[in-house]
Amino acid sequence: MDIETMALHGGYAPDPQTGSTATPIHQTAAYAYASAEEIADVFAGRAPGYVYTRLGNPTSMAFERRLSELEGGVGCLSCSSGMAAIASVVMGLTRAGDHIVAGSGIFGGTVSLFSKTLSRFGVTTTFADSGDPESFRSAVRPETKLIFVEAITNPQMAVPDLPVIADIAHQAGIPLVADSTLTTPILVRPGEWGADIVVHSVSKFINGHGNSIGGAIVDTGKFDWAKGPFEDIASLAKLAGRLAFLAHLRRLVYRDLGCCPSPFNSFMHLTGIEGLALRMEAHCRNAMALAEYLAAHPKVAWVNYPGLASNPYHAVASKLFGGRYGGVLTVGLGDRDRAMKLVTGTSLAQNLANIGDSRTLVIHPASTIFQEFPPEERDAQGVPDDLVRISAGVESTRDIIADFESALDQI
Amino acid sequence: MQITSNGKPAEVTDNITVTDLLKELKVATPEYVSVELNGEILDREQFATIRVSDGDTVEFLYFMGGGEL
Repeated sequence: MDIETMALHGGYAPDPQTGSTATPIHQTAAYAYASAEEIADVFAGRAPGYVYTRLGNPTSMAFERRLSELEGGVGCLSCSSGMAAIASVVMGLTRAGDHIVAGSGIFGGTVSLFSKTLSRFGVTTTFADSGDPESFRSAVRPETKLIFVEAITNPQMAVPDLPVIADIAHQAGIPLVADSTLTTPILVRPGEWGADIVVHSVSKFINGHGNSIGGAIVDTGKFDWAKGPFEDIASLAKLAGRLAFLAHLRRLVYRDLGCCPSPFNSFMHLTGIEGLALRMEAHCRNAMALAEYLAAHPKVAWVNYPGLASNPYHAVASKLFGGRYGGVLTVGLGDRDRAMKLVTGTSLAQNLANIGDSRTLVIHPASTIFQEFPPEERDAQGVPDDLVRISAGVESTRDIIADFESALDQI
Repeated sequence: MQITSNGKPAEVTDNITVTDLLKELKVATPEYVSVELNGEILDREQFATIRVSDGDTVEFLYFMGGGEL
């Protein structure tokens, strides 16, 4: 099955009770059984069944099957948000005294989770250079339990060399976790390049319509949990085989943290994922055209898009993503004032904190998403004051360019 | 042949493999089921090759769902 077909049919079946083509929205908190014995059997694991939506829900599981198939994984756990997915993964792999190596220039929310929230619980993080694989190797310590990268970093637009970093992780006996939000399985399956766990902010390109928040965790099936340094997960390996990590999360960490998605949101994400291949094609085409237009514009100081041949990550992106470079680009306007004028000046492009909507989006990250970090830290994260982030939508290329042309005319 | 499945007697095809047994007993979501054959948890990679004999005891454990720890 080609990936466009899999987006519609992967793990799909019409509802067995009614034949409904669209997955029913099981907007329920719990599930009733006819007898005390039957529900006891389900709780004890002797019989299949649902008990409580925080643990599992049929609509959410339909979405999980679809995404797992698309990623070529062994299973998927869907979450209330991308941050819930990342938090569940990392809290499932670490305990007090453990260490994370993460790439630089990654999403501010993830930086905050690692450096401000998890540090409260004795888990420390070193940020290596996303563009320099060897910097990951030198950052690994005996207590490091995972390496975390973004397939394309947001908003630095770095493209880490996945297979090289995967090797470094595996030589240290630890898993590589890849956040593939900006790429989605359409551009790359990180598992094929050695990643052990893939996380997504489903809120972005997968949902595709900016209507619901969600997250997901996919186990690519590559990591041998029975042999890794995680004793509690290894003890589940006998029971669950390659699903040991997902079982560890669903039965313990994810369950206890309460990271479950809304069944209604899962329905929206299912609807969105079905058109993902078509949308990514349009996002990439429009981002490339806009990047080329802006790179030639006299009022634009610089353009950062891996699709441009001059971009430092063009070669590695070409190797990993099959000739497409994603829907997100960043541009520099020279100073903060001009950057904010560009953001205010567009009318088609919506000024908001999101990426991957079908509509083109624009934002000034330094004064918004990264405003809690002092200027020196923002600079270190690759977010200068003149940076504008654009998420190219699926409108016509002509209309998108005309919108930015008009906004630039006013600066 | 007759086996005991999750504490109840069941009539199944002779010499059936574990993979086929899961299908025959209509075990839902077999990918989330661990199988204990005569008290021993089976390696899932071997479901397709291990065969069940007359009088065997099989326990299915749904390790992913429910409320159990």
